[in-house]
Amino acid sequence: MMPDANGIALEARDLRKAFGGVHAVDGCSFAVPRGKICGLIGPNGSGKTTTFNLLTGLAQPDGGQVLHDGVDIAGLKPYRIFRRGITRTFQITRVFREMTVLENMLSVTGLAVPDRVARERAGELIALVNLTHLRGEYGGRLSYGQQKLLEFARALMTDPDVILLDEPAAGVNRTLLQQLLEQIHRLQETGKTILIVEHDMNVIMNHCERIFVMDYGVKIAEGPPSEIQGNERVIEAYFGRRQSGVVHAG
Amino acid sequence: MDDRAEMLGPEKAGRETAFSRPFADTAPAVAPAVGRRRGRGWMERSEVRSLYLLAAFLVAAYALPFVIGIRYGTVRWDAEWLGYLGTVVLSGFLQGGVYAMFAVGLTMIFGVMRIINAAHGEWVMMGAYLTWAAFFYLGVDPLLSLVFTLPIAFVFGMVVQKLLLNAVVGQPELTGLLVTFGLGLTMIYVAELIFTTDFRTIPYAPHSVQITDSIAVSQNKLISFTMALAISVGVYFLLKLTRIGKAIRATALNAEVAMVCGVNVGLIYLITTGIAASLAVAGGALVSIQFGFNPETGIIYTLQAFTIIILGGRGHYLGALIGGFMLAVLESLVSLMIPNGTAMVELAAYGLLIAVLLIRPGGLMGVKEG
Ligand SMILES: Nc1ncnc2c1ncn2[C@@H]1O[C@H](COP(=O)(O)OP(=O)(O)O)[C@@H](O)[C@H]1O
Ligand SMILES: [Mg+2]
Repeated sequence: MMPDANGIALEARDLRKAFGGVHAVDGCSFAVPRGKICGLIGPNGSGKTTTFNLLTGLAQPDGGQVLHDGVDIAGLKPYRIFRRGITRTFQITRVFREMTVLENMLSVTGLAVPDRVARERAGELIALVNLTHLRGEYGGRLSYGQQKLLEFARALMTDPDVILLDEPAAGVNRTLLQQLLEQIHRLQETGKTILIVEHDMNVIMNHCERIFVMDYGVKIAEGPPSEIQGNERVIEAYFGRRQSGVVHAG
Repeated sequence: MDDRAEMLGPEKAGRETAFSRPFADTAPAVAPAVGRRRGRGWMERSEVRSLYLLAAFLVAAYALPFVIGIRYGTVRWDAEWLGYLGTVVLSGFLQGGVYAMFAVGLTMIFGVMRIINAAHGEWVMMGAYLTWAAFFYLGVDPLLSLVFTLPIAFVFGMVVQKLLLNAVVGQPELTGLLVTFGLGLTMIYVAELIFTTDFRTIPYAPHSVQITDSIAVSQNKLISFTMALAISVGVYFLLKLTRIGKAIRATALNAEVAMVCGVNVGLIYLITTGIAASLAVAGGALVSIQFGFNPETGIIYTLQAFTIIILGGRGHYLGALIGGFMLAVLESLVSLMIPNGTAMVELAAYGLLIAVLLIRPGGLMGVKEG
């Protein structure tokens, strides 16, 4: 069955994950439309990274569903989810520091292509993020921004369907960030679905079509940037309640 | 000037210790250089420094037997004695190849699963008995029997991983150490039940080969060394060039990232343990044609493998190879020069282990920890 071109690429339904007494994700639901760039925002500790971990299989959900093209993938092994075409980057970059840039790219498995093709593809992607001059360099030798680009390129090795980016802008200088955003838009034009967790509101408001806002592990708002900017619950989550909480406590 | 700090960036994330450098090249230049490496010579400064440290340490460790030997009059400096010295150092070096090979298995298990395999010497012992049984009962040539002992070892390794190690991956290091210690003891008892505690030997190519007028080594040492070298080089290229190898290295560097890069980490654990067990069993076959063994022989091999990977930096492939040669040569010097030296060989391994742990817990070739 062909997935509906205008349908939902990835959906979280009532996802739950607790660490001891901390309900990091507490009944969170949202649906990422196919072929769109969407944003997932929320104050620190609201459960965004944990949600990403649940979507990619790095954490096992305590409850709820994750639907990819309508199929429940919650609790599958990470490599199975990866092979369905869902890839990600990490909040703190995780390139293989002891592998060269090219080896980092080739460490991605599950490519059903000969080595020569994989190398070609790696070369193209390295060029895409302007790292060609560094492809024999060790990952640990790259600047932080360059590592983010490498991680991003690595996530594209298998021509994924859905790409999850955890704080891609953090620690990246403006030039590199601009490059990254251009690439993200280019991916969208080729029909990819992209979900971005980001604290830089310029990135979120200017580049995402739809935004999900989390607080205390649940989605508290959803909509296009214009609506989210004026949403009272969102403003309260970011500024209001915590301040007033302090005031009440004092 | 200090572009290094800048290049490393603000986040030196996570486990950046000797542990996270598994199978990293000692010298980056060894890596298949795709594109030209930029400037800075062929080694990083920290690596040059650890090589100096290694050299200094070696000189000290190797000088000690001479000092003791001179004191006790076992060192004579005449032509005959120098011939002994040459023979002993050469056979130590050849022995080092075998040590290095089974230590690589230990370092792989540690690198990939962060488990210290205290049963490693018993795996070596198992290899010796498999070879002996094939030779004694079936009359199979000890080298030829590798054709079926290696697959047996591979399957054995996978079973051990599935039933035992998998349960302790990600747990504190002590848990894995205790579980494998238990496995080792069990294997000793099983071997005693089947083979009794008698010493066994396999007579194999015992003749000497004259290298120079005064230096000679036995054929079986040369054969063992050649086999060990071939197998170690094979494993090196497996890790370096194949997709499975890349997946193993990726898992060792960061299991979580490997997972989201599509690596079936569970399968990698199985394969790694299989390879490690095969290396240990191959090591057992190669020592069995040189030395006698009984079920308790494994303990000394565990100790040697521990010493080697501590020397080389835990999880460090080339480190394990170099460490193997270093230890074996030291042992041979001790056995030649210190009175009652053959009994002191174990002491050499213990002493070396403790000395390295005191000087540099991360291993001489590893990155400084903490
Ligand atoms: N592995 C973990 N163990 C215990 N608590 C965790 C773990 N991961 C996340 N948490 C907790 O879950 C909550 C949500 O964290 P996280 O998902 O990282 O939030 P965000 O990415 O939105 O900043 C936080 O309170 C955090 O401390
Ligand atoms: Mg986060």
